[in-house]
Amino acid sequence: MRRTLLLLIMIAGIALIAWSGWQNLRQRRDLLQVQQDRRVDLIPDTQGAATDDSTGGESQLKGKLAPAFTLADIDGKKVSLSDFKGHPLLINYWGTYCAPCKIEMPWLQEFSKKYAADGFRVIGITYDSEVGRDTIARDSKQLGVTYPILLSDPKAEKDYLSNTEVLPMSFYVDKAGKVIEVTAGAGSKDQLESMVKEIIATGVK
Amino acid sequence: MLAAVIYIAGAIALHCCAQLNMSAPAAPKSYVLYAAEPQAVAANKQSDLEVRFQVVQGFHINSHTPRSKFLIPTMLTLQTATGVKPGTPEFPAGQLYSFAFDPSEKVDVYAGSFTVKLPVVAAAGEHSIDATLKYQACDNASCYPPKTLAVKILFTAR
Repeated sequence: MRRTLLLLIMIAGIALIAWSGWQNLRQRRDLLQVQQDRRVDLIPDTQGAATDDSTGGESQLKGKLAPAFTLADIDGKKVSLSDFKGHPLLINYWGTYCAPCKIEMPWLQEFSKKYAADGFRVIGITYDSEVGRDTIARDSKQLGVTYPILLSDPKAEKDYLSNTEVLPMSFYVDKAGKVIEVTAGAGSKDQLESMVKEIIATGVK
Repeated sequence: MLAAVIYIAGAIALHCCAQLNMSAPAAPKSYVLYAAEPQAVAANKQSDLEVRFQVVQGFHINSHTPRSKFLIPTMLTLQTATGVKPGTPEFPAGQLYSFAFDPSEKVDVYAGSFTVKLPVVAAAGEHSIDATLKYQACDNASCYPPKTLAVKILFTAR
């Protein structure tokens, strides 16, 4: 009789432990969501275009030769950086979801025409190429863009964007193929044009 | 005695799971915050739940009705929950925002806090609706890829 009683007390005690464990698990799950939702990395609210020092990663390319790439354009044609050898170049990473990118792209189009005689060229590289060629083609057409729009790949992304997710990202490359400036975020049309003029004036073919 | 052994094994397993859950990798970077706020509604009557979100300072997200069809609207999708009939989430109006480098272009955004109303008819008892907020954030010059935020809406119907 005593043995049975002892066994019942043990079972009740262990059941209590199991129940409290389960309750604990549920509470922790709910708490975990709140904690995870509160995890943020703050980015300073700077005015205008952020420079290469504000987002990290991209500044690694400044002063170095632009990394080589061969990427498909929206028609599936392969385009390489080496195709633009000797040209001052603006490599512009953009995304179909990115409003500031779409504000500055018509300006890039305008400059690609205005400074074409100086050898200046623009290459757009689409960050969210997973949305598909149709969407990318539709957006670039709507923006009036006629410069090459390429689809990014993981290697180009690693080489140019490092770990940053910031768009737009612009890489100003001189005639010698060196990255003169990197900007994260869109700037004013005047800022953009002065950078274009700078790369036209810099570097030797 | 066998029952006792089974219970001990069960209790140990549950505590192990709790520990594993806590050591799960951290959630990806988020620009919108949500903290479950328990609410009470009348049972078996249509009532509105309020789902409050906070956009991190310095950022904004496209509203549910951005001015361009090319922008990604904020959306809330709901999982089915036993005893709850949810209606269509009602999003607040956004506010017009223009980037400093081009004041003429305006987008429709949420910044600071915003509240989504969720009409529900629920049986008496405690309820939890799992939902996902899809949004796309920008700051004053840059944008970030679309993100999702898992949301648990807790409420009691009395």
